[in-house]
Amino acid sequence: MQRRIRVSTWIIDLYSVIGVIALLSVLPLFISSYYTRLVAVGILYGIAATGFNILFGYTGLLSFGHAMFWGLGGYIIAIGLIKLGLSFPLSVLLSLTILVLVALGAGYISLRHTEIYFAMLTLALSQLAYAIMLKWRSLTGGDEGLYGIPRPLGTITHYYYLILLVSLITLIVVWLVLRSPIGLAFQTIRDNPGRAETIGYNVRRLRLLSFLISGIVTGIAGIMYVPLEGAITPEALYWTFSAEIVFMALLGGTRAFLGPFIGGIVYVFIRDYAMDITEYWLFVMGVILAILVYILPDGVVGTIYARIARLQRLKR
Amino acid sequence: MSIDYALVQAINTLFYASILFLIASGLSLIYGIMRILNLAHGSFYMLGAYISYTAAMLWIGPTPAGFVAGFVLSLAFLAAVGALTERILIRPLYSKPSELQLLLTFALMIALDDVVKMIWGPEYKSFTKLPWGYMSIGHYSVPIYMLVVIASSTIIGLLLWWFFAKTTIGKQMRAAAYNPEIAAALGMNTDLLFVSAFALGSALSGFAGAMASPILTAYPGMGTDAIVLSFAVIVIGGMGSILGSVVGALIAAIARTVMVIVYPLLEVALIYIVMIIVLLVKPTGLFGKEIVERR
Repeated sequence: MQRRIRVSTWIIDLYSVIGVIALLSVLPLFISSYYTRLVAVGILYGIAATGFNILFGYTGLLSFGHAMFWGLGGYIIAIGLIKLGLSFPLSVLLSLTILVLVALGAGYISLRHTEIYFAMLTLALSQLAYAIMLKWRSLTGGDEGLYGIPRPLGTITHYYYLILLVSLITLIVVWLVLRSPIGLAFQTIRDNPGRAETIGYNVRRLRLLSFLISGIVTGIAGIMYVPLEGAITPEALYWTFSAEIVFMALLGGTRAFLGPFIGGIVYVFIRDYAMDITEYWLFVMGVILAILVYILPDGVVGTIYARIARLQRLKR
Repeated sequence: MSIDYALVQAINTLFYASILFLIASGLSLIYGIMRILNLAHGSFYMLGAYISYTAAMLWIGPTPAGFVAGFVLSLAFLAAVGALTERILIRPLYSKPSELQLLLTFALMIALDDVVKMIWGPEYKSFTKLPWGYMSIGHYSVPIYMLVVIASSTIIGLLLWWFFAKTTIGKQMRAAAYNPEIAAALGMNTDLLFVSAFALGSALSGFAGAMASPILTAYPGMGTDAIVLSFAVIVIGGMGSILGSVVGALIAAIARTVMVIVYPLLEVALIYIVMIIVLLVKPTGLFGKEIVERR
């Protein structure tokens, strides 16, 4: 039953992507540059969470180390831009290349297990990446990180549209992959790895492919984020950020394609609101997030989808 | 390297291992019995540190009585916090997907960091004085306090072993860990067992914080560092195993000491390398048994 609803929502998913991106593209006309920047951060968090969800929501593997891809993507583009003096496109290329290698290596190691051991391996690998970035002072600036990273295209608004374009392409590519035979194989593995193996899927290799795509998508978000902020510190790779990515994905809903993307944007706005009203914003955020766990266990978008599905059933 | 220096380093390492063991055994116990990865466990460690600071430095003064009061208070307070957390916050989520428990404890973790800032302020809290004086080893001086911590942690380790091997409640907890439905069908009060196990695990973490802070100071955010190290410890030793936590804590502490002396650049990294190797070679950890995931 749940599967049938799922397949029929593919088109809704695509329309929602186009609708949301269209909405986001007119937004800067009405809001200040402060909020434009904030939305841009939300979009990138959303892309990071979407990447995470390829692995979690669609392949059934809980990664607890996705900050690794976000942070490495960010560090390498920063190093390319200010340490090596490369142009923006070349830095992106360098960053993507290294991300592919890291994702293949990390995936090969951590996919020797599933479930809790997989989560622990991804946690350990990302903490290792954190430790390396923290201590490789000559390259990464140690605990102060790297700053003064130039933003291509000058103004915030221009860069916002670049981010939006990259996000649109990323979302559509992810959507195409997920509804392709490969994506459906991911979901078979999620629902029943044993049966997937029996009917002839190479489960290990497909999981690695999912891990690779997932890591690259989260990495792309990290790559785009660093020029927006102009700085990066080792915190970008610390395990708490991995947990935040998990949170964004579940906040939006991992069973809906656009859930994690919306989750990232909502997360950033909750955080901004909390920072606005009190210096104890972490406390406010903790309380809000805890309440959301109880009242919206399917996430924001997941709940909306469930409502729509119920309405459709009533009409029939 | 002189014998004296080696001895001092050995005491430092054992002290650090004692603290890690206390936090990790609590985490391991809660995971082993309830399959909950409590991310707020490190925050309970932090609360223990602040309570002991309050008792020893603000109320009673840095006398042996003040410190002992701090230990007892944090033990009792965190047992209560643990029990309430399980009973009020986590229990409604048992029937839901397990990610939600993880998220809830994450929310609790970030909220508690700010609770500590509200009550005690954002700055580091150092203890100006340690009880029980110092002993000299060659021309080094070592606080007797460290030896007290090592001894207490050893005693607690033995008590835990005795509790789970010999007492009825301990055996019932293990039974409930293995299969809660059958344990309940046999007439055990699994609700009570779970709440007690959570309280016990949290109390251990609070106690660890209370014992650590006089040496390592208390600060907001100390919990997030502690929890991830405890993960490494219980993964290396084996989740749900007391002996595993002992060995894991010793390995983590020795790795740290050796790296600080030999190659400080790898100080933070080495423990995760060990963790990865153990997970690849023996995923259940050195002393763990296969963990059966519950649905």
